[in-house]
Amino acid sequence: MNRKLIGVMLVAALLASAMLVGCGPKEPEQEQNGDVEEPKYKAVLLLAGNLGDMSFLDSANRGMQMIKEQLGWEVKVIEMGTDPSAWEPTLTDVSTQDWDLIITGTFNMQTQIEEVAPKFPDKRYVLFDVSVDYTKGDYSNVYSILYRQNEGSYLAGALAAMVTTSDMPRANEQKLIGFLGGMDAPVINDFLVGYIEGAKSVDPEIKVVVSYVESYSDPAKGKEMCLAQYDMGVDIGFNVAGGSGLGQLDAAKERGLYAIGVDSDQAMLFKDSDPEKAELVLTSMLKRVDNSLFRAAKLFQEGKLEFGKAESLGLAEDAVGLAVNEFYEKNVPEEMRTKLDELAQKVKSGEIQVPSAFDLGPDAVKELRDSVAP
Amino acid sequence: MHPLLKAIFSASFAASILRVTTPILFAALGSVVADLSGVVNIALEGMMLISALVGVIVSAFTGSAWMGFFAGAAAGVLVGLVLGYFHLKLRTNVILAGIALNLLASQGTVFVLYAVAHDKGVSSSLPSKVMPEVQLPIIKDIPVLGPIIGKQNILTYMSLIAVVVIYLFLYKTSFGLRLRAVGENPDAADSVGISVHKVRFIALAISGALAGMGGVHLSMGYVSWFSRNMTSGRGFIALAAKALGRTHPIGAFFASLLFGLTDALSNYMQSLRVPGEFIQMIPYVVTLVVLAVYSGRQLKSGRFSNE
Repeated sequence: MNRKLIGVMLVAALLASAMLVGCGPKEPEQEQNGDVEEPKYKAVLLLAGNLGDMSFLDSANRGMQMIKEQLGWEVKVIEMGTDPSAWEPTLTDVSTQDWDLIITGTFNMQTQIEEVAPKFPDKRYVLFDVSVDYTKGDYSNVYSILYRQNEGSYLAGALAAMVTTSDMPRANEQKLIGFLGGMDAPVINDFLVGYIEGAKSVDPEIKVVVSYVESYSDPAKGKEMCLAQYDMGVDIGFNVAGGSGLGQLDAAKERGLYAIGVDSDQAMLFKDSDPEKAELVLTSMLKRVDNSLFRAAKLFQEGKLEFGKAESLGLAEDAVGLAVNEFYEKNVPEEMRTKLDELAQKVKSGEIQVPSAFDLGPDAVKELRDSVAP
Repeated sequence: MHPLLKAIFSASFAASILRVTTPILFAALGSVVADLSGVVNIALEGMMLISALVGVIVSAFTGSAWMGFFAGAAAGVLVGLVLGYFHLKLRTNVILAGIALNLLASQGTVFVLYAVAHDKGVSSSLPSKVMPEVQLPIIKDIPVLGPIIGKQNILTYMSLIAVVVIYLFLYKTSFGLRLRAVGENPDAADSVGISVHKVRFIALAISGALAGMGGVHLSMGYVSWFSRNMTSGRGFIALAAKALGRTHPIGAFFASLLFGLTDALSNYMQSLRVPGEFIQMIPYVVTLVVLAVYSGRQLKSGRFSNE
């Protein structure tokens, strides 16, 4: 008897919630500027992690705010936390709800999307910083965004070369710049290739000292390697090594030399706690997840977003670029900034083609690296 | 001169060896103390990591690097006692308890980091302090030696002093004798009224304090913040250094120095495009060779014949 009662109540609750959900979108939307009747789009962002990473996830969140403010969409951001077992159920849940775009990203979510997206063929997914394997199944409802880090690194390389050949207070005579990589792997070398090409475009004589930490979480070793680089005569370096890379900033501070950050605006990381260090981080090479999500939403609204494929976005789409902050404006001389803007324009227009480590392959990358070795 | 040779014969390279050695040396000494009392402490890695974080947090909130240092060492002691509790009181397998502590430290520190600094990668938002660099008054003016050992982080000097202190403690004090007796033959020690548990608890506490100082060196000496899993296996390298140093403080010192040398060498070679992996292999190969030679000799002399 009791069980029956509970059953009835459960069914009632289910019906009620189904009705509520069903009603939701049908309610007349009150646009504030009234007279234009626009269909209101809805997008949800699922984060594999939490906000506050000062990197991709925060950037994605900013993108959602842009979509809300500039396109007038209804947006929602769900922090799924760091427990991977919760990610796929959440994605499935969200897929049963009424969203025009379901956005998620980073390699953490690749398998989850590959699993869930085919089950909801009438839903639309946007995946950033990783691509589903389109040969593995029918992913005609998934749009993947990749970032051309080589193009952003091209600018970083150009900046480094200009600094080392300049008469800036801390630059020395030697035409030597540094690169600290996390691993000798294609994605890191894609940064390296752009960096080297960018540096050579400024001065073909530039030599690049390359070190790999072989770990993304050993800042002490990262620092030690950068100290070795700085002691060789490097006066500016670019770190692409996750947590290990932050060691470069400490080395830069200890030697009073320059650094370029990556992924997040690394000057801002230390702006409050260690301003002296932040001053030496001239800029950081960023993946602009926010811009790329905004672009995707805009294209979707215009009916032009091509699902079922991966697109790699670069400078032309403002999806990568150097961080323009107070330190960049203060510490990088104006003619360098103008030159960087010009270079960025040339890459955008296609006048300069930045090679990619993925196209070159490991042997050509090694050749390039050896050609600029000191 | 070849740029590599030029780099290697520079004072900054020699100074970097001492820097690289410091955290390994602290942990290796910790391992020696625990090992001699008869407990294999494989939780060194986790102890270092926890201490590194505690040091940063406490120094940020008290504004004092020394408070951070002592808190970090105390955190190491605490972890050592926890390990002791599980192993000695609850009779857990010490290796399993050690693995559990290492795993707990690896993720638990990220959890605490997020709670305190609202960041999962790095504690840069906390205004944490750094242990001071010290210039030794007279030594710093000696031509070659000066630039190498004349100006280092205070923890580097402390690690060198610790070698002597631990040596004297283990071999010149009555408690050191008891500690070694407990490690050598707990039943015999017990029969003459030495509390095996008490001695091992103290040994683990000392071991934790030493590992903790190594951890503090990483986050408050080497770099000026905590980042996730920043110990990167140094606690395990310390175990190898202990084995290579034949569980003796002086031996562990030279073994740590060898690891530091090869690591520093690989850092410099990398920047000259010599594959650093090869150099990094050397200490491990040396460890294996030394252990093989050592145990081979012992087998010959028949010391193992009873076992």
